[in-house]
Amino acid sequence: MFTRFHFFQGFVFLMLAALGLGLFHTQVVRGHYFLELSTRNHIRLIPLEAPRGRVFDQKNRLLATNRASYNVVAIPEDVTPEVYPLLAKLLDMPEADLRERMSAGREYPFAPAVIRGDVTRELAFKIEERQPELPGVSIRVDGVRYYPYGETASHVIGYIGAVSRDEYRDLDHDRYGMNSMVGRAGIERVFDESLRGWRGGEQIEVNASGQKVQVLSDRKPEPGEDIKLTLDLEFQKRIMDMVKGQHASVAVLDLETDGLLAMASAPGYDPNIFVSPATSEQRMTVLKDQNSPMLDRGINAAYPPGSVFKLVTALAALDLGKITPETRFSCNGSFRLGPKSKPAHCWFKAGHGSINLYEALERSCNVYFFNVAKRLTPDDIAHYAHVLGLGEPMRLEIGRLAPGFIPDSSWKRAKFHQPWYQGETLNMAIGQGYVLVTPLEILRLTSIIAKDGLVVEPHIVARDRQFVPEKPRVAIQEQNLDVIRRAMLQVVESDYGTGQLARVDFDKLAGKTGTAQAPPNKSHSWMTGFFPYKDPKLAFVVFVEHGGSGGITSARLVKQVLETWKELNAAPVT
Amino acid sequence: MLRRLLNGIHFPLVFAVIALAAIGMLFIYSASYRDPGNYEVKQVFWVLIGLGVLIGVPFIGYRPFLSVSYFFYVLSLVLLVLVDFFGHKHLGAQRWLSLGPIAIQPSEFAKLATLLAVVNFLGVHHPWEGQIKTVSVALLLLVVPFALIVKQPDLGTALLFIPMSLVMLFLWGVRKRFFIAAFGAAALAVPLAWEFLKEYQKKRLWVFLEPNRDPLGSGYTALQAKIAVGSGGLWGKGYLAGTQSQLHFVPEHHTDFIFCVIGEEWGFLGSLLVLCCYGFLFHSIFLIMQHTTDVKAKMLCGGVLALLLSQVVINIGMTFGLMPIAGLPLPLVSYGGSSFVMTCIALGLVLSVYRERSIF
Repeated sequence: MFTRFHFFQGFVFLMLAALGLGLFHTQVVRGHYFLELSTRNHIRLIPLEAPRGRVFDQKNRLLATNRASYNVVAIPEDVTPEVYPLLAKLLDMPEADLRERMSAGREYPFAPAVIRGDVTRELAFKIEERQPELPGVSIRVDGVRYYPYGETASHVIGYIGAVSRDEYRDLDHDRYGMNSMVGRAGIERVFDESLRGWRGGEQIEVNASGQKVQVLSDRKPEPGEDIKLTLDLEFQKRIMDMVKGQHASVAVLDLETDGLLAMASAPGYDPNIFVSPATSEQRMTVLKDQNSPMLDRGINAAYPPGSVFKLVTALAALDLGKITPETRFSCNGSFRLGPKSKPAHCWFKAGHGSINLYEALERSCNVYFFNVAKRLTPDDIAHYAHVLGLGEPMRLEIGRLAPGFIPDSSWKRAKFHQPWYQGETLNMAIGQGYVLVTPLEILRLTSIIAKDGLVVEPHIVARDRQFVPEKPRVAIQEQNLDVIRRAMLQVVESDYGTGQLARVDFDKLAGKTGTAQAPPNKSHSWMTGFFPYKDPKLAFVVFVEHGGSGGITSARLVKQVLETWKELNAAPVT
Repeated sequence: MLRRLLNGIHFPLVFAVIALAAIGMLFIYSASYRDPGNYEVKQVFWVLIGLGVLIGVPFIGYRPFLSVSYFFYVLSLVLLVLVDFFGHKHLGAQRWLSLGPIAIQPSEFAKLATLLAVVNFLGVHHPWEGQIKTVSVALLLLVVPFALIVKQPDLGTALLFIPMSLVMLFLWGVRKRFFIAAFGAAALAVPLAWEFLKEYQKKRLWVFLEPNRDPLGSGYTALQAKIAVGSGGLWGKGYLAGTQSQLHFVPEHHTDFIFCVIGEEWGFLGSLLVLCCYGFLFHSIFLIMQHTTDVKAKMLCGGVLALLLSQVVINIGMTFGLMPIAGLPLPLVSYGGSSFVMTCIALGLVLSVYRERSIF
């Protein structure tokens, strides 16, 4: 009887017979063909890297692109011994180095090894001319990364570098070759996946002298996707020029789209030096530089905010009903918590007299805020700081962590095993002591105030206009935000204001200055604000490390930034 | 004493295992004697352990294995989930789990655990009553580990689940119309599932099915493997005299592509010898199946046979372009401890079916 068992048995031996037949065909019938292919070793595999996606600014100006580079490559199996001394002389490198390059790891046998990348055109032509004396050596033209504007937006765009041996082992070899470049910072790192595209390659059959006979199969490399940023290149460039030689961070946000128009950190570095192996010395200089040019001061460094933080203290007190805008305190230049405590000083030694909240913010009176602080707990202030986004993670594409820090009483207890002292609340109220913020956090705070409490998340990659997410609001009453906005207007427009130097003649500006003590060095200089006062279009932050008074150094920069913006966005004459 | 120990062992099967393991060690040496690593020495060690397991398992018998099969099954699922979180990546796939100094491959373990669990489940349900429910549960048991292995992604191992399930259900006695319905459902499900895949996953599948789409990776390997095997001709180039495999044209020539070395150095006759060894092994399993009346034992042997056969067909088939390049070892021949020992456990279960043939 023919059962399922017999059927199964028959099937198994049929499969084995099929294998046998297939092997007979490959090994006996076509054996000679394959034998010939194998003895001549005539299959070459040429990997082709995909061109990396480009990065544009909002007006489609190129921030990162690819240029052609000439690489000296050699297939070590085809190189004859006479080549070494000749090539060493041409490239001006020791023969030992040359041999080392030849024997460096390759992905496949007969794959070309890169002897020297990015050589000059002249040298490339010289080697091409002497090709007959240099079997196995050739010039390959590849695309390499090029940043046309050097350090202009270096921290935003980032840079690329070659994969290391260890990384290569764990990567998908469909996309990453042994000598592939990967993004190491900024946009290049975060968007590496979409920028890099897909590698291609071709299998070719070559004749005895290594020339291509036919392409056996190939796959075209797929170029990476381009990325468009919200940055305005010209604006960014002008701002970088303004802060040249200083340690500073300037960021400007378009309040309509929440996109960053400029995000400058000085000093910058030239990302081009990371591309070519010829510039390794410059690379070391940059990496070891005491001025840390690689550091993006806007998002990766935290500083005391100084008087800018009074905006938070004021909002906390107003919203909790501890003061009204008309609450008056008297300033005679110094303040004592109790009869025996050490006096704390206002920056204006003669005292501001009896002033209300508007005047206190306008003149940045410390004593007024010491009095306000007496009515608040540190946790009240910390709560409002967090509501306004300080010490909270960012959703910026190139850096989501905000290293800023807002202290509170439980933190103090955990860290120092001590209660919180009221004197520390005074310090906190004027943005000194433990409080640390990044310039971008301050920008976000100002934007929230300018947009009447709408939550703002700065971004830098351009988005579709259609995409309008539901905007949540912060839990602060609108009339209190309005008070703060009016006070910020007075900071610049009143003749007593600390930010007068920022005043521009074409519209009304609102802002707040800050001068954060950083002994033993000069103070950090801050100014943040929005413009114009009615229907704000921009929010900005200017920070100069050890730049001195906020009302002088930063206010002057703000004026320049706004004038530049006006100039660049002037309605074209028709 | 020794006589009693070896009594009830089906020697032809053991002989086939030893022959294949010996060919394996010979060619592991040929494939790697120029490289550091001493793979052939390590393989001797694994072969000894494997043979110990092969003789040892029949003394436990297959029934205890079946009775704890659900536990093994759940354990293997846990391991498969763990490998997703803690496993280390190699060439873009997450397959290995480190337990101190040893790295284990949960998918290898899951194969056998699933086989046992499904056999146990089908065995207690008679095919004459309520096939729909039984078959659905059995398929569910199969699909969960299958999906987890696809996700790693280890398409090769996942693929083995298909013939294994078909053979088990077939031997259990599933109705023909279910077979046809299952094929129909699968044919309908493919385009649906395709829509859910991400772009890079589609790409990977395409390359898997059609290596020429990726001349850099598996396409190149496929061509070089074919050249290696084909250039062996009828007689081969002689032991240790292969050029293709020795020169690293073919990657992983001591593991997944060991057959290239055999085909190149011993030619068609060598290939035929290997095929005959497998034929003899399968024939022994069939003899054992004929000697048992236990449905569970039959399905167990059939499942093991299906696993081995599909590995052989895929592994040898991919060297001459019949099958896609799937990272599967050639059972009992390729270098690798976990594969060899797992195969020995599976064959040990088959041997124990023979040893218990008189228990009706």
